[in-house]
Amino acid sequence: MKVLKALLFVALTITIGNNSYAQTVDEIIDLYYEVTGGKDAWNKIEGIKYIGKVNQGGMEIPLEMVQTKSGESYTKASVQGMSFMQGVYDGETLWNTNFMTMKPEKVTSEDLENHKLNLNDFPDALINYKVNEYTAELVGTETFDGTDAYKIKLVKEPVTIDGEKVDDVEFYYFEVDSGALIGSQKEMVSGPMAGAISETKFSDYEEVEGLYFPMTMTQGVKDGQSQSIIIESVEINPSYDKAMLMFPTEEPAEEDKK
Amino acid sequence: MKKLSFAIILPVLFALQTNAQDVMLKGKEMFGDMTARQIGPALMSGRISDLEGHPTNSRIVYAGTAGGGVWKSTNGGASFSSIFDDYIQSIGVVTVDPHDPDNTVWVGTGETWTRNSTSLGDGIYKTSDGGQTWKKLPFEGSERVCNIIIHPENKDIIYVGELGALWGDSKTRGVYKSTDGGATWENVFFIDQTTGCSELAMDPNNPNILYASMWEFRRTAWSFNSGGDKSGLFKSTDGGITWNKIHNGFPSGKLGRIAFAVAPSNSEILYCVLETEEDEGKGLYKSEDAGKSWTKLNGDFGLVVRPFYFSKIVVDPKNPDVLVKAGLFGSISRDGGKTFKDAGRMHPDIHDILFDIKDSERMYFATDGGVYRTWDGGNTLDIVTSLPVSQFYHISVDNAEPYNIYGGLQDNGSWYGPSNSPGGIEARDWNTVGFGDGFRVLKHSTKPIIYSEMQGAENVWRYDTEKMQNKTIQPLQVDGDPKLRFNWNAPISLSEHNPDRIYIGSQFVHMSNDMGNTWTKISGDLTTNDSAKQNQEDSGGLSKDNSGAENHCTVFTISESSLDEKIIWAGTDDGNVQVTQNGGKTWDNVTGNITGLPANTWCYHIEPSVHDKGTAYAVFDGHTKNDKNPYCYKTTDFGTTWNSIITDNIEGFTRSFQEDFESPDLLFLGTETGLYITINGGKSWSKFTNNVPATAIHHMEMQAATNDLVMGTHGRGIIILDDVSPLRALTQEVLAKDVYFIPTDAFTMVEESNFGGTSSELQFVGANSNRNAKVIYYLKKRHTFGKMKMEVQDQYGNVVSELSPGKAKGINIVDWNYMMKAPKMASGKTFTFGGFTSPRAPAGTYKVVMTKGKERYETELVVKYDESSVITKEERENHTMVTRKLYDLSEDLAYQVYQMDEMISFTEKLKKDNPAFNKLGSDLIGQLTTLKNKSVITTGDNYVGAAEPQLREKLAKLYSKVASGFTPPSASEMENLKLLEQQFDEGKNTLDNIKKSAWSKLVKKAEKEGLEIPSMKEKNDFLGKAIKP
Repeated sequence: MKVLKALLFVALTITIGNNSYAQTVDEIIDLYYEVTGGKDAWNKIEGIKYIGKVNQGGMEIPLEMVQTKSGESYTKASVQGMSFMQGVYDGETLWNTNFMTMKPEKVTSEDLENHKLNLNDFPDALINYKVNEYTAELVGTETFDGTDAYKIKLVKEPVTIDGEKVDDVEFYYFEVDSGALIGSQKEMVSGPMAGAISETKFSDYEEVEGLYFPMTMTQGVKDGQSQSIIIESVEINPSYDKAMLMFPTEEPAEEDKK
Repeated sequence: MKKLSFAIILPVLFALQTNAQDVMLKGKEMFGDMTARQIGPALMSGRISDLEGHPTNSRIVYAGTAGGGVWKSTNGGASFSSIFDDYIQSIGVVTVDPHDPDNTVWVGTGETWTRNSTSLGDGIYKTSDGGQTWKKLPFEGSERVCNIIIHPENKDIIYVGELGALWGDSKTRGVYKSTDGGATWENVFFIDQTTGCSELAMDPNNPNILYASMWEFRRTAWSFNSGGDKSGLFKSTDGGITWNKIHNGFPSGKLGRIAFAVAPSNSEILYCVLETEEDEGKGLYKSEDAGKSWTKLNGDFGLVVRPFYFSKIVVDPKNPDVLVKAGLFGSISRDGGKTFKDAGRMHPDIHDILFDIKDSERMYFATDGGVYRTWDGGNTLDIVTSLPVSQFYHISVDNAEPYNIYGGLQDNGSWYGPSNSPGGIEARDWNTVGFGDGFRVLKHSTKPIIYSEMQGAENVWRYDTEKMQNKTIQPLQVDGDPKLRFNWNAPISLSEHNPDRIYIGSQFVHMSNDMGNTWTKISGDLTTNDSAKQNQEDSGGLSKDNSGAENHCTVFTISESSLDEKIIWAGTDDGNVQVTQNGGKTWDNVTGNITGLPANTWCYHIEPSVHDKGTAYAVFDGHTKNDKNPYCYKTTDFGTTWNSIITDNIEGFTRSFQEDFESPDLLFLGTETGLYITINGGKSWSKFTNNVPATAIHHMEMQAATNDLVMGTHGRGIIILDDVSPLRALTQEVLAKDVYFIPTDAFTMVEESNFGGTSSELQFVGANSNRNAKVIYYLKKRHTFGKMKMEVQDQYGNVVSELSPGKAKGINIVDWNYMMKAPKMASGKTFTFGGFTSPRAPAGTYKVVMTKGKERYETELVVKYDESSVITKEERENHTMVTRKLYDLSEDLAYQVYQMDEMISFTEKLKKDNPAFNKLGSDLIGQLTTLKNKSVITTGDNYVGAAEPQLREKLAKLYSKVASGFTPPSASEMENLKLLEQQFDEGKNTLDNIKKSAWSKLVKKAEKEGLEIPSMKEKNDFLGKAIKP
């Protein structure tokens, strides 16, 4: 079954790659879902857990990342036997572990409200962009990571940055040859790096339960340094300890340290 | 099923097609992730042509620059980011759309401050998302846009003031109007092909009322004219349909460039500064009846100086009596123009002013040296330090390590600075070596001497950087000489054969073999010596402007061949190419042998080949004759015959060229809009855009030891493309391969430590090159599907490091920082930061294994120690041995703590489930906890709440101290190690005893009761695949 699906995937991608007619934004987005497992299949997912790692100057940091349709999310990293949590959302509170105290701290109210705007973006912001009343526009074809790619601009609900409403804009690059999503870019809107472009490249797509996931995500600043997150496994509709997401009054639970 | 069979056929067809022809890769398809670095500097910044604010958000400020694109600040001018990299970088005007000020911004390209060195624009661009994406509008034939005004009630009505071409006639001039949002344009006010619109304004209370300042002007390479019968100030009251002169009160005679403004708070009040035929007429005029009549108020120098460069008036948005006039120092009036004082202490040459919308005491100034800010009406000012828009004319490099870059700048002197510096290349790293406009700056190859110059060789300095002594050495007229004519940017060059030799060009080539003390003319007049082009005294038009910038019929480039000192090439600004093969005894004018080159086209650069004596490349720039075509020719026979190596895809006129030192087919071409590279001797060129904006590249050099291509840009400072050697390997054969590892030389682990830099987040810091080992490979196709991994293995096949391979089509560069895996540290309550240190790999040959799906590719990577190291082989071995010992001790301790944790966990569960184990369990847990508390921190936090360090922390600290350095451990460190080893051994013995006694008793009892005893991981299993040093 897996072999057959993989073959179909290749078949589809080759067919797409040789389409000579002009693509519309929806054709590009639809094809992406088609070649990665089908829009229906993606829409049926309730949650995704990624198990992966990053390499920080020789030190390997294991990561566990969960996102769900209900909006719950967390990233857990483990170093020297201690776990720390980032981007944890329990449905009400968004919090991170402070690296000095290893204790949880809430993000600002503004960040929380901005985060809540993204809760409907599961499994990603493109799949139901019309339902969410976002706008998607085909900017054109550009060379991205050396290859021809369609550049799509997605504008979501405005976010609030230091009290000012700012459009939430992200650019997506779909490989012309394959239809696969190979990159995204977003302007940083706050902090000392404001104005710089953050960039993520996607590659190493592999099939998991009929859906194709990029098993390498390389994140960084456009034309600057970057770091790869290597995904070792993907679990669809995963189980996870919901208690772990609740904003704790003390430190993370003891078992998380192991 | 149909799709599947289609899929099987197609690849075969495509394979057949691609085999039949050469692989032609353009731009990023070839260069992949080879990325240039911009190193500024920003401390002197560069010319800013226009400033623009936001109507309601005072944090938003835009700066349009003369050659460095558009920059946006979202923090009230504290810092700026570039938002226009991909488009032509010369900016006339930036306009925020009042209907959608957060997102919609219009950019009119082409600077309107028409100095000799100004760059060119190519029309109008618009963004609808705050600068993230831009669309070019169909506004053809445009060269310089002075204003874009959007109708306040109808966003589709737009007026544009087009100054037009500087160097020739143009039909695209005057006032344009669009009624469909910029899709189509109508030229609503045109005078003639010599007269453009230099200022366009709208009455803030009546959008049908427009004012246009029209200017008759022309520049040639040898002269400038400002003014004529057609210049004037015009008004339209019907939305641009009809225009009438409003000169009541102006003196009679010709007019030049007119600065003009309407007071935003009272549109009856207008100000203008006239450039008139008679000096008495020049000055500030004011109208209080919307232009019906004018009264002259003031003729101060600050108001009338250099109208072509400073014709801008800005009136305080809240107070019609407060106005600022651009100028040499800028002038501010607070009494409606009756009197003025200097605007404040900042870089001279002010071109535009922006008042803060909330507080008029806060202002921004656009100067030749960046953006300045004031919070107190100009009493004090400071420069924005994040705008690396410096405008280099020429650059050079030396052979130091790291090498230095030398260059001269428009109105910002001459400088040199390093290509690498601790913490990045900061403002403090740059050293000034000249005043005025700087041009060629050259380092003596063996002595601490730098040559620099200013403005037509007015001064040529020989500066001893050690003794800090200066002498001017420019050749002087001697008996029998005609007046020496030096270009504004006079050529100076050095010899690779004689370190003390220096050449300077006037209309002659002058040579000195004693560093400029004595000069010999080694040529006759090499120019056309056209007397009609030598009347600079008369240049300027209504305002005389004989700065020296228009000096013409001069030698502009001199190059001695690195293969033969007798071969010298000279190119002149009036189009001659001359060569001598006998050290200057005789010269051949080979200009006539070049076909396809219009007569008198400025020879900007000649590059004698390093591969062959008879070969040279000549680059020509015709833009001062209104010819924007690129010209680059190659000769292989000393100029007897020439072939053009220009292809159709090259945009922008050409100024600079560099030949690779190893591959004759690898060439670099700098144009007005960026960098082009060919790997096949010019048969095809690809534009390089990875962090190289579409800026004018005036000069390039290659640094021989690093193979870095160093670009001097006229608007984006210095840009370096590090190590271009991978491009040498690209042949048709290589481009046809799926994967190709590009061979690399051995990489040196530089033994250097530093404390970083001092810059704040508001200061620009140029990136350093990275000194990591690099795995460089070419991929024929981007890797999108299936796993792709890369490992560095030692000679025994052990994995030393896992790398993240690049997946780009084209060239990929993967760094390895020489680090192996960090030790696995014992689990504790806090981080032990020393445990984050990775040990450095020893020198040697490593195998790089890349797996891509099922395919496996291998290459070798050679790493060597720093040749400048003072560390002996024995010391290095000792360092490695002690590092290994500490690494192992840390991991051994980690395994011990793991065992303790497992035993404690099991025992606690046992106690909980079975009260019979209470006493035995409590005793065991007590013993284990006591031992663990000595082994690792179990309380506190990672900052000042830290607990007393235990064995893990002490080991990690010593390990990091030793491993992160290069030198062998000191006696003190060895004594500390001895103590820690004792403590480790004590702990180990204690654990062994616990296992033998209390744990053993508990296990036996549990087994007796049929309980399952958990199996602990073996040590290697616990440590995973960790590789030891």
